[in-house]
Amino acid sequence: MASNQKKVTPQQKSYQHLQQKHEIKRPILKNCIKAFFVGGIICVVGQAITYFYIYFFNFTEQSAGNPTVATMVFLSMLLTGFGVYDRIGQFAGAGSAVPVTGFGNAVISACIEHRTEGFVLGVGGNIFKLAGSVILFGVFSAFVVALIKTLLTMWGVI
Amino acid sequence: MLKGHQSWVFHNRPMITATGVTGGPFEANGKLANDFDLLYEDLWMGQESYEKAHRILLEEAIKITLKKANLHKEKVQFLFAGDLINQITPSSFAARTMQIPYFGLFGACSTSMEGLALASFVVNYQGAKYVITGASSHNAAVEKQFRYPTEYGGQKPPTAQWTVTGAGTALLQPNEPGMNHPVTTAATIGKVIDMGLSDPFNMGGAMAPAAADTIMAHFRDLELDPSYYDLIVTGDLGRIGHDTAFELLNKSGLKLERKQFQDCGLLIYKSNQPVQSGASGAGCSATVLYGHLLNELKKGKYKRILVVATGALLSPLSFQQNETIPCIAHAVAIEMNEK
Amino acid sequence: MRKIRSFTVMVCLVLLTSCSQNQTAKNSQLALIKTTNPSPVITDKSVKRNHVEAIKKDVSSFPQIYDVAVIKGKKGTLISYKVKHLYRFRMKQIEKDITKMLEKKYPKENFTVSSDYKIFLETVRLDEKIKSGKISKKKAEKRLQELIKMTEDIK
Repeated sequence: MASNQKKVTPQQKSYQHLQQKHEIKRPILKNCIKAFFVGGIICVVGQAITYFYIYFFNFTEQSAGNPTVATMVFLSMLLTGFGVYDRIGQFAGAGSAVPVTGFGNAVISACIEHRTEGFVLGVGGNIFKLAGSVILFGVFSAFVVALIKTLLTMWGVI
Repeated sequence: MLKGHQSWVFHNRPMITATGVTGGPFEANGKLANDFDLLYEDLWMGQESYEKAHRILLEEAIKITLKKANLHKEKVQFLFAGDLINQITPSSFAARTMQIPYFGLFGACSTSMEGLALASFVVNYQGAKYVITGASSHNAAVEKQFRYPTEYGGQKPPTAQWTVTGAGTALLQPNEPGMNHPVTTAATIGKVIDMGLSDPFNMGGAMAPAAADTIMAHFRDLELDPSYYDLIVTGDLGRIGHDTAFELLNKSGLKLERKQFQDCGLLIYKSNQPVQSGASGAGCSATVLYGHLLNELKKGKYKRILVVATGALLSPLSFQQNETIPCIAHAVAIEMNEK
Repeated sequence: MRKIRSFTVMVCLVLLTSCSQNQTAKNSQLALIKTTNPSPVITDKSVKRNHVEAIKKDVSSFPQIYDVAVIKGKKGTLISYKVKHLYRFRMKQIEKDITKMLEKKYPKENFTVSSDYKIFLETVRLDEKIKSGKISKKKAEKRLQELIKMTEDIK
């Protein structure tokens, strides 16, 4: 952005100023509140599913996490397929994008979208179009954190 | 005939004798549903991909136009059409089906007026007896290319616009005096304007200066006063772009009234439809003009209108590479034929 | 918008009804939601009740935790508890502290300490089964060993 900003002519600058006056701002506070409640509801559902697995299956609190994530992703995929999730997303913003359901939605929406280009080049090639960067940087940052922790334990800091 | 720097005056006044307007389910719930000739209940339109559905939209619009004019497609000399999809395949494929000699145009959302201006020019100078021009867009196909997958739950900012699913086409032919049809009288071709905006979710703001520039050029070239037109309508500026363009024009000294200055992107949908800032897309100005506005002209609500279709000439690649959005606008003046 | 609203209302209704149906339920069915405070369970006859009560009291004295369940068996003692919400980030440290305290106070005994809800739930369930007489002492002892093994596995 910095290099772009330098090239702005005075004319462009005065226009951008004028344009900003008319631009409708994102209602940040309202969005935050909506995101808080919808995200909270999603987490409550997740907690209920965790309890379900603890009560009725032989999962401990720790090991119940995996099936819970799988169930939540599955649910969000169903909602995406029925065309509901993008509406929830427009309403809730980060509230529905940050929980793991948002990840499921990113994967399956790309998958549905590129179904017309065939299974290999369409679905296979594009399924991680949006979620791919999450996976890449997630794995990479996990690696860096693990490396730091290993080094610190080796040196006896922790 | 060239007049001024960048405008044409069509002294032979080519006639728009028939139009065909198709739309999707979202438009069927909109404000102008009655002005569409054919509305689909389903975004797929019975096809297996959105791109094919996009093509069907245009094909059907052309067929309706021909049917209304009672004309066989072989009688039509040229087809001027365009859309927003890569390499404008839906228009080209529709041209393959129709077997009409074809000019493929790309002017983003300004394609409709680019086509109408060129078609009028050709007809005006006896280059053709019948010309069809049109533009189309399909919400899901365009979103897929320019933004995120349709079902992705990302939050769109309030500046975003909703791409119209629809196609509008018009048949032009040389003027025959006494026939009660709209005619094109002048056109102004705009230049590309870039005011350094780079947010693809705020196209209206980026396109407003292009619209203002073309409108000012039109009045300068033709030496007219804005009150000459009953209505000056922009293509798809949306709420933000429309307000901005209005302010730009007023600042430049053109005396426009608010009632006289409208936007197709704000006309097409109802206020309770979730379209954020308004409608956009190549099909937006095409469907509103060839459907709603020409009907209003025929009813006598307006006598002369100036249609300014605006286009943002960006690609999904260019905005990811942090390029700013260059924009263009073309204007065509339309009025009713003298009786 | 309307669809979203009806969806949220639906979710809330489902949650509310699922919670209110269990009013006449057994302790174990609500063990994770409310404080149960179960009495200690003994599967080993040679141990006196007072001794186990004392262990429970010692563990309960930690301010960060509530709801302590103790099972005393032949080979070991399983202690499970719930950590107060604000201290959940320090769960590991609390577990260490409790183990240290117990080992110091009762050096001859073998303790397994866990804050896992599942272990707590199973402890309460075992307690109920013993009290209702559905399970023999021998089987209870076996189940305790299973639970201890399960606890060691997740550490």
